[in-house]
Amino acid sequence: MKRISYWFLCSVSAFVLLVGFDASRHAGTSVVSAPPVVSSGQSTTTSGTGNATGGGSGGTNNKGTGASSKTTTVTGDVVQTQWGPVQVQVVVRSGTIAGVKVLQYPSGNSRDVEIATYALPILIKETTAAQSAQVDMVSGATFTSEGYVQSLQSALDQAGL
Amino acid sequence: MTVEALPVRRYAEQVMGMPISLAVRGAHTRDASALDAWSACLADLRVTDRVFSTYRDDSHVSRLSRGEIGLDECPAVVREVLDLAERARLESGGAFDVRRPGPDGTVVLDPSGVVKGWAVQRASVHLRSLDDTDFCLSAGGDMVCHVADDERPPWQVGIEDPRDPDSLVATVEVRRGAVATSSAAHRGAHIVDARTGAVPDALASVTVLANDLTWADIDATAAYAMGAGALAWLRERPGRRGLVVRSDGHTDVFGRG
Repeated sequence: MKRISYWFLCSVSAFVLLVGFDASRHAGTSVVSAPPVVSSGQSTTTSGTGNATGGGSGGTNNKGTGASSKTTTVTGDVVQTQWGPVQVQVVVRSGTIAGVKVLQYPSGNSRDVEIATYALPILIKETTAAQSAQVDMVSGATFTSEGYVQSLQSALDQAGL
Repeated sequence: MTVEALPVRRYAEQVMGMPISLAVRGAHTRDASALDAWSACLADLRVTDRVFSTYRDDSHVSRLSRGEIGLDECPAVVREVLDLAERARLESGGAFDVRRPGPDGTVVLDPSGVVKGWAVQRASVHLRSLDDTDFCLSAGGDMVCHVADDERPPWQVGIEDPRDPDSLVATVEVRRGAVATSSAAHRGAHIVDARTGAVPDALASVTVLANDLTWADIDATAAYAMGAGALAWLRERPGRRGLVVRSDGHTDVFGRG
């Protein structure tokens, strides 16, 4: 289960980052085969699939928030994966990602994920096995020398020695 | 966004009762100059420990706390740290305070909340002297990061999940700056709100990114002590960003660029 949500939220994170890049600079730096087109302004949405594994693209629906013109909500397609359907919704405000809502994910619950803007690449992930995540260091509660042995940091250090 | 895999060399040592971890990549990772810089970092931290440790009865800070010596009999760095502590106390509205009532009611001086970040930031200067070399120097989960060449990818820092320390709750990318996290996860309740003496329970952890570890660490500790008011305070802090994990698991991100 952990593994599934990890896989899925990684996909979401990748999607968000790529959209973030697209929204705030140009599409040239991203490596997505069908970059989502996001235009700000009223009732504009277009979307590709938000998922590295592909499968379906195109249609969307728009739930723009009306009068406050600069906010656009982009809803991605439902993508069928081997673990179940996945769908995300991205709120774009003034050209940057203001939030991501996971409408569907394999366990059936929807969940809000607050995501930083492009300028703030803090990726909120579903709890992730550290071994799977590509991290160089771990920031956490101060561990003492005794606690270190069991810490993720210790695992990283050992892997590199 | 392809990231070239650069070989990372790692070092780890126990100093000040906690593990010090170093990751280096680039020009000097395992040659004599890298080893010298690493040794100099550790030597700095050991000196700091001898002066500031509250676990050593003979440290300057322990003797100062007991009133056996005056501030003018301490090394100049003690005043530097106490000045930082005073600034932190004022800027946090008193939530952060290195002087707190001990078990018997007498006021005890414990500048540990300032010393760690300050000491590691200070020690990292030795690594900065390594030409064309990136480093990430961590002390028990708080770190200074530096990428010498903008062509190279940022360091990827995982933020531990305070409710499940085997997992990560987020990752951040850092080229130049510091990351500090305060939480009761590994050591139990060791932070109190100095205004009330209460152990805060509204938050599970606070992670702060700042230009230097001195203030990243201070702000993370102060915000954790504040509890429910932390997020509003952090949003007003200049140049800080990060995330707050509430005790119910809700995560808030604060700060911009």
